[in-house]
Amino acid sequence: MAEAATQRPDGIAGSSLPGPFPVGAYAKKLQEELRKRARLQLVGEAWNVKRSKARVYFELRDGDGALPCAMWNDAWEKCGVPATAFADGAQVVVAGGPDYYPGSRTSSPGFSFDVSALRIAGEGDLLAQVDRLRRKLDAEGLLEPQRRLPRPVLPRTIGVVTGESGKARDDVLAGLARRGWQGRLVWAFAPVQDRHAAAAITSALQDLAATDQVDVVVVARGGGSLADLFAFCDETLCRTVALLSVPVIASVGHHTDRTLIDDVAAIACSTPTHAAEAAVPLHCSEARLAIGAGAGRLADHARRAVLGRARHLAQLSRAPAQVVTRQRARLHQLLREMRASARRRGLAESGRQLRGNAAALERRAGVARGAGAASRQAKLDALGSALGAHDPERIVARGYAVVDDGEGAVITSAAAARAARRVRLFFSDADVRANIEDP
Amino acid sequence: MSAPEQTYETATSRLEEIIRRLDSGEAELRETLALCKEGRGLVEFCAAELDAVGQGLEELRLDELVARLEAGAARPQDPS
Repeated sequence: MAEAATQRPDGIAGSSLPGPFPVGAYAKKLQEELRKRARLQLVGEAWNVKRSKARVYFELRDGDGALPCAMWNDAWEKCGVPATAFADGAQVVVAGGPDYYPGSRTSSPGFSFDVSALRIAGEGDLLAQVDRLRRKLDAEGLLEPQRRLPRPVLPRTIGVVTGESGKARDDVLAGLARRGWQGRLVWAFAPVQDRHAAAAITSALQDLAATDQVDVVVVARGGGSLADLFAFCDETLCRTVALLSVPVIASVGHHTDRTLIDDVAAIACSTPTHAAEAAVPLHCSEARLAIGAGAGRLADHARRAVLGRARHLAQLSRAPAQVVTRQRARLHQLLREMRASARRRGLAESGRQLRGNAAALERRAGVARGAGAASRQAKLDALGSALGAHDPERIVARGYAVVDDGEGAVITSAAAARAARRVRLFFSDADVRANIEDP
Repeated sequence: MSAPEQTYETATSRLEEIIRRLDSGEAELRETLALCKEGRGLVEFCAAELDAVGQGLEELRLDELVARLEAGAARPQDPS
């Protein structure tokens, strides 16, 4: 090898240039020379960002040229730039200097700008610009009008402003399907990223509102860098949204992104799906069930109101007859009790008298029993028979009647009967009441 | 002063109010029947609103809608 290295071939005939030199030595020299160049900062758009285990590679471009850049991973991590912010097209400032990898017999050489530090350029400038505009619109009261607009819970027609080929379109449809909404959807497709985007979106919104057919408008776009989403911070667009008579629901970028249209819209949602759901706050299937249940309850109330009252009226109409029947039964019962009581009182009185008479006779019999007992016995028996003939029950059984004044006092004369006027006649089987008519 | 336009939310709100009143049992017969009649009207309105967004998704582009509206405006006698 060493021998081969020392045996250099002849140069090109006629050329005045020195050499030939070994390429490896020249490559190393070139590396040394490039590394001697002043280190500095460059600005441009990052494109073709790729990451390997050791380094981050990208190209820094602007309208006049481009440089391949490489950055060691530890330097990249020190910068603290969010990976999502460092995407294709991001405006960045890099610090570093040119470098050259000389390569070898088995590896390719390469030129790159060795980046030791990086920051997202313009982000701060853009944010400051957006913030200034936000304060300006706020001072003019333009952050409020959309929020004050009434939003229908069940729109019939929804307008959607979005990119024709973006995923946002599918997400909006998915959100509406979740709500069970199948109304009229009007697509107003517009570019959502380039320098024409803001004007096109503004025009689409104005056209949708001008139809006077749209109940609510969804403006949807997927995620991106602030530069990508900057169209949605356009002053004219935001003023148009603020003054639109139709409520606008914005879903621009991811939930971490905040564009100015979010501030002037009626609602800002994190995803197009959520924006579609916000456009139809009502879940249509559940609403149908609820309305059906409401109709059922109304029918119940109507039926109960009529049937319940009809039942009550029927009860009321039956009440007088029931009262009369109850009173009649009570009267009968009282009558029966009164008759039984009167009968018991009359019989008890008669019994007491009979027992008194019998005792008196017994006493007399005892006195008389001494002399002429037999004749007295005979006389006694005759008296007993006579007494038996006066037993009121037996007398009544023979067809007589006992008369009282209705209160239990026995009436024994026509005068007393006339005085009482109403009397009660006790027969052997029952008693009856009678009125005495004056002759 | 004209009555405000009926919307789905005003209709459902009034329907809930009617059902609360009926549930309270304080409404006499005439009021109950009047409320039931009004409630049935509201149910029909809400059902019609739900039917309007339940017959199948209709997708069209803005220019198609504009063309349709212009055609409708040019032919006001055309019921379609």
